[in-house]
Amino acid sequence: MIFFIVQCPRNPTANGVGVDLLKGGIMKIGIPKGLLYCKYHPFLTTFFTKLGCDIVISEDTNKNILDAGVKYCVDEACMPVKIFHGHVASIKDRCDILVIPRIMQLWKNEYICPKFCGLPEMVINSIDNLPPTISEPIYATSQKKLYNWAKAAGKYLGKSNNKVRLAFHSALNAQRDYEEGIFDKGYEVNVALIGHPYNIYDSFSNMNLVKKLNKLGIGIVTGEFTHEDTLRDVVKKLYKKPFWTFTRENYGFAVNVAKEKIVDGIIYVSSFNCGPDSIIIELIKNSLPHFPFLILKIDEHTGEAGIDTRIEAFADMLERRTRIESNFSTHG
Amino acid sequence: MKVTFPHMGNIYIAVKALFDGLGMEYVIPPMNSQEALTVGSRYSPEEICLPFKIMVGNYIKAIEQGADTVILTGSCGPCRFGEYCELQMNLMKDLGYHLDFIVLDMPKDIGIKELFKRICKISSPSSKSTYEKVMALKNAIKVMDLIDEIEASAHYLAGFERNKGQCKEILEECKREVMNFSNPKVMIETLKDYREKLKYISVDINKNPLKVAIIGEIYTVIEPFSNFNIEDKLMDYGVSTKRGLTPSWWVKNMVMSPFKLNSIKIKQSSKKYLSMAIGGHARECVGEAVLAKKEGFDGAIQIFPMGCMPEIVSKSILPTISKDENFPIMSLVVDDMTGEAGYITRVEAFIDLLERRRSNVLFGS
Repeated sequence: MIFFIVQCPRNPTANGVGVDLLKGGIMKIGIPKGLLYCKYHPFLTTFFTKLGCDIVISEDTNKNILDAGVKYCVDEACMPVKIFHGHVASIKDRCDILVIPRIMQLWKNEYICPKFCGLPEMVINSIDNLPPTISEPIYATSQKKLYNWAKAAGKYLGKSNNKVRLAFHSALNAQRDYEEGIFDKGYEVNVALIGHPYNIYDSFSNMNLVKKLNKLGIGIVTGEFTHEDTLRDVVKKLYKKPFWTFTRENYGFAVNVAKEKIVDGIIYVSSFNCGPDSIIIELIKNSLPHFPFLILKIDEHTGEAGIDTRIEAFADMLERRTRIESNFSTHG
Repeated sequence: MKVTFPHMGNIYIAVKALFDGLGMEYVIPPMNSQEALTVGSRYSPEEICLPFKIMVGNYIKAIEQGADTVILTGSCGPCRFGEYCELQMNLMKDLGYHLDFIVLDMPKDIGIKELFKRICKISSPSSKSTYEKVMALKNAIKVMDLIDEIEASAHYLAGFERNKGQCKEILEECKREVMNFSNPKVMIETLKDYREKLKYISVDINKNPLKVAIIGEIYTVIEPFSNFNIEDKLMDYGVSTKRGLTPSWWVKNMVMSPFKLNSIKIKQSSKKYLSMAIGGHARECVGEAVLAKKEGFDGAIQIFPMGCMPEIVSKSILPTISKDENFPIMSLVVDDMTGEAGYITRVEAFIDLLERRRSNVLFGS
């Protein structure tokens, strides 16, 4: 599929616009620390640093960022999108050019969520006085397609093709070297922590869930360690191949760890009103009707005490299941 | 095999024509009602969007009348609709119903062979020849086009009519009468009669009624139950309405999309604000808002179910269009909990606003 370079309505994105901005010295590129930044930050930061730009990264999510996000974003959007708006608002005055990754596809014929495809439009139309943005679509289905994005971004910044190519390759290497995911060892009780990466790794929005679970003596396993082929095998059993990347990954991981008995329970962190989650959760429930499964809904109003109670109750239940009731049938 | 299908606006008339033409048994679920929605939301996942709940209600009601196979269209876009079939299959199985699903997906996702296999499965109980089957499909599409055309002109003429309520009456009578026939040919003739009838109602061409475009998520704009009969209500107020998304538009769009020749006008007008398809009908929603302004409409009402992902994107774009084009747009979110009174108040207030804008000295400038 050939997609032309996208031009955003209110931000002129003619070739080399960035060159004009360079008068004052090194260009500052703003990268919001929201949504899939947690997964792809080595790529983004390395790419722009190697291109010779300064990068301005927003702070870790905090109350101010969330409040700004709630203020600017449309009401109906989910919390991660609101937080992204907050990150943009917090750095928009400190950078010359803003990067809003429009991640269309990570795998062939799979999407993430319509909101990711329209993210630049959402941000640009909701927040005033934005600097120019780099919002070309990202198709990470192959190296060649991903390079299209790099080329467009480099052209926009007025960099030579050669420089872009070098920066692109070192960015790819940095991304490959980066290992993410949690695989705790040495705990008696283990749970699989599932959800969109931005919910799992943003300790503000999930209220330090990882630490809290560890403190309760529960080890955590996240989906990154399951092999792609295993996921695909599991998903093949569905009537229809899911067309969201995270549906496939989360569903495949959940069903696989439960069947392989790697963990004792599953905790699903889901943001309120998340479209894909409403489907994944149902699919997992259908496939694993008798497996301990806790759904934590988070939104901008989540009370911490309620979350704590639920985690503790779940932890108690798991402990009893493994220690006392291990000889009973799972649904007797 | 007794086939059923979920309701969506006037699609039941076309489906009736199709299965009558094929000579097959089918069940039209009872028209959407609060009961169907209550049943549907009792069994559906909590956070799923409204169309899913109403559809489940339709299935259960249809099963009570003996249906055993559901025909559903699918999609593999990033919108949730594409996953409906999987969830609904599981759900109906868990409820203890033996319901067979035939999902018509785009050939690029399931392969053209699989699609043909599924189409053959639908038409296999029919004893008609292949030629007759094709003719039945053609007639059904004709019926769909006609009813959409009649509906569109009734909605538009409602603002101009001299005898208040005439358009609405004709439209309702048409829908009632066409269901009495079981021969697709007669159905087409009846619809053509009504189309003529609408042409000759007495209208006041000097009238300048308010014109409102209905935009938004395809199911909620087409299905009158889910949007509290907004178009009928606007007809009562003497407001002309236009809705771009119709079942016949959908079919045309789907057929043309492999050649990238679908809805060119909408694509062009949305380019400035949303340059690519992001799933669902967000681009159409944005494009139609811009088009409505160009066509001299007074305002637009966007309707979408709670949590609809593509429409959330278009909702965040619409205020910019509203500002740039000086064009009032109201967004209405519907779900199974929406109260009708509050909803109607908002529509009335919006109509009042449009009316007063006209008396403003700066109107149209």
